[in-house]
Amino acid sequence: MLRTLLVIASWDLIKLKNQKVFIAMRWAWFTVQILVFARAISYIVSHSVTQYTGGVDYYHFYILGVYTTLLYSASIARGYMIADEFDDGIVEYHLALPVKRNILAVGRVIGSSISTIIFTFPMMIIVYMVLGVRDILAILVSLVSALVFSMGVVSFVIMIVFTVKSTDLTDIIVGAIDALLVRLSTVFYPLPVIMATGIAPYYIAALANPISHMADFLRILLFPEYYLVVQHGLWASLVYLIGFSMGLLILAIEYYEKKLEAGGWR
Amino acid sequence: MRSKAVEIKNFTKKFGGFTAVDNLTLDIYEGEIFGLLGPNGSGKTTTLLTIATVYKPSGGDIYVFGHSVTREDYEVRKLVGIAFQDPKAMWIDKPIDLLKWHARVVGYSGEEAKRVVREVMELLGLWEHRNKQFYQLSGGTRKKVELAKVLIQKPRVAILDEPTAQVDVLSKHALWDVIKKLRDEGTTVILATNDMFEAERVCERIGIIYKGRLRALGTISELKDSIPSGDVIEVQYEASSLPGELLRELEVYGKVKHESNRITIYVEKGEEKVVDIVDLFKKRGVRIKKIMVKEPTLDDVFTYITGAKLRGEE
Repeated sequence: MLRTLLVIASWDLIKLKNQKVFIAMRWAWFTVQILVFARAISYIVSHSVTQYTGGVDYYHFYILGVYTTLLYSASIARGYMIADEFDDGIVEYHLALPVKRNILAVGRVIGSSISTIIFTFPMMIIVYMVLGVRDILAILVSLVSALVFSMGVVSFVIMIVFTVKSTDLTDIIVGAIDALLVRLSTVFYPLPVIMATGIAPYYIAALANPISHMADFLRILLFPEYYLVVQHGLWASLVYLIGFSMGLLILAIEYYEKKLEAGGWR
Repeated sequence: MRSKAVEIKNFTKKFGGFTAVDNLTLDIYEGEIFGLLGPNGSGKTTTLLTIATVYKPSGGDIYVFGHSVTREDYEVRKLVGIAFQDPKAMWIDKPIDLLKWHARVVGYSGEEAKRVVREVMELLGLWEHRNKQFYQLSGGTRKKVELAKVLIQKPRVAILDEPTAQVDVLSKHALWDVIKKLRDEGTTVILATNDMFEAERVCERIGIIYKGRLRALGTISELKDSIPSGDVIEVQYEASSLPGELLRELEVYGKVKHESNRITIYVEKGEEKVVDIVDLFKKRGVRIKKIMVKEPTLDDVFTYITGAKLRGEE
């Protein structure tokens, strides 16, 4: 079973191999954003937000937010690829393989997530180099947490794809959710700043947002003093992330078994 | 008595209000090449995808070596391999990657996968295309990649959905030999086609399916014998329409099919009737462009049974 799961997961890794130019371009742009634009934005805002960040450098806060956004959008992109495969009928091929449906679903989610991690790993290294992170354990934990987060996002997109059954509609829905989730999160704005706006729904949405938890988890993991800024602990974010991903993974398996099972997707 | 590889019992498949397959019952025996013949949209692919457990029956059931597609789908999938009508790959995929992955999924170890993939790709003339991206391949080459999956898998039941469509004539003959060899090695083959020549050349028994229903079933000679009159006279005429009297007179000789400026008459001892038929056309002032007497083909059988042509009718 484990062997089959790994083979299924390798489907997405093969795809990654064929996107070398795209990946290189994304890495280059990310490096420019971290080394140039992030410094510019931090310079603009660092004085005004210091009161809210407990004296922690906004530049650190910002680039971990950028990395989290990238992790999220790369996971979404894997989901788009599954949507494209849906349009090309590859789902039929996968459904006809001598593999149990739940193994197929978990394999696809894990494969997509590992691809995301491989894709974003060089960006993570750049961020950690800039931040001066040397703690191997912290780096490993951040990698695993990124994998867990990515699994949740990929599961979520799979559910959307197999519900709406249209690439175009998936683009619209995921685009809208993407715009809301990133904006209503703490990736760029510290939670105390959001609270200071006095808009309660904004604060609640940011607090409940999985992207906020991913970004804040990394911040607390690498800079424990961020605990003051994010207002919830490392374990709380970890439990949230695991719950988010496992919950969505179970739903994605259910979708593969019930929605797709034997023609339900048509 | 031959054992049943696939047993289709009262199988019905509906998509919303549309019935794609209606109460289909037929058996496919172990070790045969069974042809499912019908035009596009007749229900062939729906039937095949249900055998492969991609679809679920709306009614009835299908058994593969005794395993139900509705209750034991995983067991069925272990026995069945399918080459889809539309090759399943993304434009960036490379045949070698796809086939190696497929080989691993169906159970080969890494080294075995490499070996079997190379063997099959060389057999089908795909090796030189192994590192091209899918968009660079011709339609026929893509179909061969699809067929390669089944040859790698060597399943007990191979489903081939129009495997030689878009394939050039020379390659077609080679692929037919490959399909027969697959059968000789113990695989039961179900071949869907709308190519009557392919069906005659490759299949041992044929089921004719039209508008979701099974219209005829048997060996090729049994099907040809099912045309009661034995011969077919085909007349192409030059007039824009045919006088009603002439049609009625022709019906005396046998069943008549009429389409645009061509008329097909199913008769006994065609060579004796052809002179009388020419005279009837002359008498009614209709000029004959071409007339021929022939043995019935599978296309004629199909036309006789359904009133439709195999190609061109959705």
